[in-house]
Amino acid sequence: MAGRARHVLVIEDDAETGEQLVDCLKSSGYDVDLAVDGEDGLRRALAADYIVMTVDRMLPRIDGIEIIRRLRAEGIVTPALILSALGEVDDRVRGLRAGGDDYLVKPFAFREMLARVDALARRSATMVKETMLRIGDLEIDLLARVARRRGREIELLPREFRLLAYLARNGGQAVSRTMLLQHVWDLHFDPTTNVIDVYVGRIRRKIDSGQDYPLIHTIRGIGFCLRAPD
Amino acid sequence: MLLTKTLRSSTLRLAFIYVILFSAAIFGLLGYVYWSTARYLSEISDRAISAESALLTKAYEAGGRDGLVKFINRRLTDVHFNDWVYLLVDNSFDYVAGNLKRWPALLRGDGGWSTIAAADWQAKAAKPQTLRATYQVLPDGHHLLLGQDTADLDRFGGRVTIGLASAAFLFLVLAAAAGISTSRRSVARIEAINMTSREIMRSGLGERIPLRGTGDEWDGLADNLNSMLDRIEELVETNRQVSDNVAHDLRTPLTRMRGRLERALNQQLDVGHYRSLVNDTISDLDEILTTFSSLLRISQIEARDRTAAFRNIDLSEIVREVVELFEPTAEERAVRLKVFARETVSVVGDRDLLFDAISNLVDNAIKHGGDRREISVAVARCAEGPILSIGDRGPGIPIEERNHVLRRFYRLERSRNRPGNGLGLSLVAAVAGLHGAHIIMADNSPGLRIELHFPNPRRAAPSSSNQQEQPWAIGLQRP
Repeated sequence: MAGRARHVLVIEDDAETGEQLVDCLKSSGYDVDLAVDGEDGLRRALAADYIVMTVDRMLPRIDGIEIIRRLRAEGIVTPALILSALGEVDDRVRGLRAGGDDYLVKPFAFREMLARVDALARRSATMVKETMLRIGDLEIDLLARVARRRGREIELLPREFRLLAYLARNGGQAVSRTMLLQHVWDLHFDPTTNVIDVYVGRIRRKIDSGQDYPLIHTIRGIGFCLRAPD
Repeated sequence: MLLTKTLRSSTLRLAFIYVILFSAAIFGLLGYVYWSTARYLSEISDRAISAESALLTKAYEAGGRDGLVKFINRRLTDVHFNDWVYLLVDNSFDYVAGNLKRWPALLRGDGGWSTIAAADWQAKAAKPQTLRATYQVLPDGHHLLLGQDTADLDRFGGRVTIGLASAAFLFLVLAAAAGISTSRRSVARIEAINMTSREIMRSGLGERIPLRGTGDEWDGLADNLNSMLDRIEELVETNRQVSDNVAHDLRTPLTRMRGRLERALNQQLDVGHYRSLVNDTISDLDEILTTFSSLLRISQIEARDRTAAFRNIDLSEIVREVVELFEPTAEERAVRLKVFARETVSVVGDRDLLFDAISNLVDNAIKHGGDRREISVAVARCAEGPILSIGDRGPGIPIEERNHVLRRFYRLERSRNRPGNGLGLSLVAAVAGLHGAHIIMADNSPGLRIELHFPNPRRAAPSSSNQQEQPWAIGLQRP
């Protein structure tokens, strides 16, 4: 993934937030364009090919949701991360998740934002359907819904398997607790307790105990990551 | 002031329209009665004339011209016939007999009926103004006129006209009086309501609309408006308390952060110190943001139209999912989670919100469930609707505090030092309210059992009025 393949569009009307977003995305290797209002954003999104865009929910002139609607009407499917200050109960934003877009409630941790942009970028780059995922000596068979480590089958509950598969699909990249709740449980709210950590802890015991090296890592301030040692 | 308002009032306008419509109907009816009576009377009169005419003809046939003259002269002296008019003239219209001097110039034809104003009376005769008459030419060329005075008929008509006119006048006066007094009454009541509204806008929610104690619809309206004002006053009060709590809960960490940053500005610190300072500040900020988001979320849930994201969902399935999610946490704390949610129990609702609310309840039960580590989560289908109950074996909540715990930021004394922001049960209450569910807190002897009583999904369509769900939600937040 080089050159234009890493191009991200940021549509954000608040100057300082926009600058912070650009800095953060640049430092993690993306080329970034910044649009400061809805019209500018829509023009750029129509003109160039981006892999991901972040769109502020409330923009002067053209509202963020409207931008995405118009782009989809033009056949442009660039995945969008909507940054909304309205909270999770905003029905119009909830409606968008069906279209494969993602959203994040303001204010957010930049690492969480990066994790989501990474996930969207990866989805946009690799549309190939894989049936077998390999991380280190862990094998995940998505068809048979079986996970093996060093050839030994690991007993997992259906939900635990889904969680492991989601971590594996994002192999090497951090995944936040909210993202897990969204993709594994199909729930859209911020967990306020450490219940997800404890749940992942149980899977970690099943996967990592008695092995040569750990695969599931806790990333402080964000969530988790499934990664083999280099 | 009141008069101009009365004149401009819609009641008065309506009253006038009704008066006009009723008047038209009544005048139409009376007019018809008058017309048909008059017709009937004139028919009777015509018949009498015809009968008298037949007698005259008979006298003529029996005694010829002289016989007729004799008959006429006899009639003229008869007092019973003094409103009758007889005239016999010869073929050149010269007077022969009767109580009219000259043949009326208008009646020159061969015969027929006429209503005429007659002049040229014989001196002795009564002098009617108009008469109804029949005339004919006799076989020997004489002309005969026979008539009857219509004064009685006219008098009757005049009386009916006067009666109708005075009835109409009386009717209009009464109707106008009734219209004005009704309008004045309603205008006065509305003015009372308006005055109270203005007073409320000027000085606050303390004012109430006075009742007259008549129990009429105006009292009903005033009573409803007063209860609405009570409700608004309560909500404002709740809101004020929440703002106070928000101020307290946000100011404390903000003060901490501000102090920390100010010290950092004034002191020379090494990089490690700065780092930990920034880290502490970020986690304090996160804490504030979490509180803030929860609060916003609760308000949004309370303000939401409940139809938007509602689907038919299985309550048992959600409960099983929540329990599965909390299973490791419970295990870690050595709590046994017992679930009774086998059969499908459908409710109309929002999965995200229900999941969040049930998670909060299970989380609370695990955290505050005391030493006898057992929690039961059950879903049941009752006649009144689905019931979700979560029971623990902990210390429970004292009865007098049960209503308070649903309030925002309310925390029991014994859990003040534990993590949490006192918003969990408020969220549960908001979600329950959105779903039209009642919250019941009961003694689990020992422990606390919280039950959510959902409305029957078949009977309570999600679009039904908000009336049913609101009273309890507000009632429970009452201080």
